[in-house]
Amino acid sequence: MPQTETYTLSMGPQHPSTHGVLQVRLDLDGESILKATPCMGYLHRGIEKLLESRTYVQGVPYTDRLDYVSSMNNNLGYCRAVEELAQIEVPERAEYIRVIVAELNRIASHLVFIGSLANDLGAVTGMIYAFRDREKILDLFDLVCGARMTFHYIRVGGVSADLPPEFAAKCEEFLKIVPEFMQEYEDILTGNEILQHRLHGTSPMTKEQALSHNMTGPNIRAVGIPFDIRKVDGYGVYPKFEFDVPLGENGDNWDRYRVRYLEIYESAKIIRQALDGLPEGDIMAKFPKVLRPPKGEVYSRTEGTRGELGFYIVSDGSTKPYRVHIRRPSFINLQGLDDMCRGMLIGDSVAAFSAIDPLMGEVDC
Amino acid sequence: MFGEGLLTGMGVTWKHFWGKKETFCYPEEKLPMTERFRGGHLVLDHKKCIACSLCSLACPNQAIKLKIVPDAKKKRHMQSYIHLVGRCLYCNLCVEACNTHALSWDKNYAISTWHREEMEDELVTAEGLAYFHQVMEKAKAEAEAEAKAKAEEQKNGGGDA
Repeated sequence: MPQTETYTLSMGPQHPSTHGVLQVRLDLDGESILKATPCMGYLHRGIEKLLESRTYVQGVPYTDRLDYVSSMNNNLGYCRAVEELAQIEVPERAEYIRVIVAELNRIASHLVFIGSLANDLGAVTGMIYAFRDREKILDLFDLVCGARMTFHYIRVGGVSADLPPEFAAKCEEFLKIVPEFMQEYEDILTGNEILQHRLHGTSPMTKEQALSHNMTGPNIRAVGIPFDIRKVDGYGVYPKFEFDVPLGENGDNWDRYRVRYLEIYESAKIIRQALDGLPEGDIMAKFPKVLRPPKGEVYSRTEGTRGELGFYIVSDGSTKPYRVHIRRPSFINLQGLDDMCRGMLIGDSVAAFSAIDPLMGEVDC
Repeated sequence: MFGEGLLTGMGVTWKHFWGKKETFCYPEEKLPMTERFRGGHLVLDHKKCIACSLCSLACPNQAIKLKIVPDAKKKRHMQSYIHLVGRCLYCNLCVEACNTHALSWDKNYAISTWHREEMEDELVTAEGLAYFHQVMEKAKAEAEAEAKAKAEEQKNGGGDA
């Protein structure tokens, strides 16, 4: 009597579709997955520990290296936490500029998501289109802060420099082409039968599962829970802007793709409102050069591109933080991989990784 | 209809095939870097530098090694300024810390090297070093002249008394 037995397949850490150095141990029965265990730590650099030996201001460039696809949002999260700890009031113009760059970065990051999802599902052409449009945002950032990747633009107390005079026109130009390139993705990806077959109904998640894994960001909005910190806990000047929170229905990969796709439009809406209402004034708060926040602790959360990005900082009254803990959304969202993969085929696990959109720099920290 | 989406996608590709090119031939054509571009090597203006070492203090990763020498009049001068390119985060904190605007980026993005040793970049050029020796000599001469004048004054003063 022939018998089948389960076997273990190690996927990664050099697999091209694992978005960096993630290893996944797949327990398989034939080709269907019984269990998927993500093994992390290949990119651990000890950023939390490094932050303890740098001053508060010197710590900002390290946060660039967490989620390196959306550095602006990391800078924002860390700076907001330090400002809350040291009770620094940020000028309004700086808050508006922060919103503009953070939302531009959200668009860039979602474009990377769309591109890498297409690439992982075999549509390399789709990736090229998404990266072409992301390049335009990087050009804007290059103009603003002189870097295309690790920006270090948002600083404790404000932003490092004012927007250059030609920025508004160029940003407006970019916002104009957003519907054009989104229509192209609609034609080239959304309508594509192969992509639909790979995403519809694969790796579904219930609301209970998503909540029990403490998922945040587009992953929880895909199951239909309207949890967006910009709305729930409106920080900065976000309450002044009107935007919707796109939601999914079934919690499958298709919904995860659609939620991010629609969020690009919402971010564009926010940027337009912020550009129109950009006030004049200072871009940096006044605070002592040697920053010594009072003794205490703070947990500050912002809506990063991948979910709730939280910084927990303990101050002992000196120039350096006593302890920094970072709640990285990618790390926590990745815990849902097992539930998403069970009962699916090996090929679907690749779609599941991409749909979670983890970034290993942030997972391993 | 099955295949309609594929054909629409091919249509987009077909349109772009004849459209404007998004890319350009890199080594032949080069893009200008923006005004705020941070990258490449640091450049030190030795005439502006006052050797205050604020740049090295601002660096989060200790990527700047300085050798500061006081002259005969106890004024500090930069003899050697080593930028450890391999450790640099390109965060711009050093450039922003400089009060006299002596530091800047050379905006050369092609900085890869064959050897690890080449990643230690000396910012004090031959011209800068010559300037350093010149000011050191000058200060020494001035200090000697002052000392001599003082000694003579004391001698004369002593004679008078």
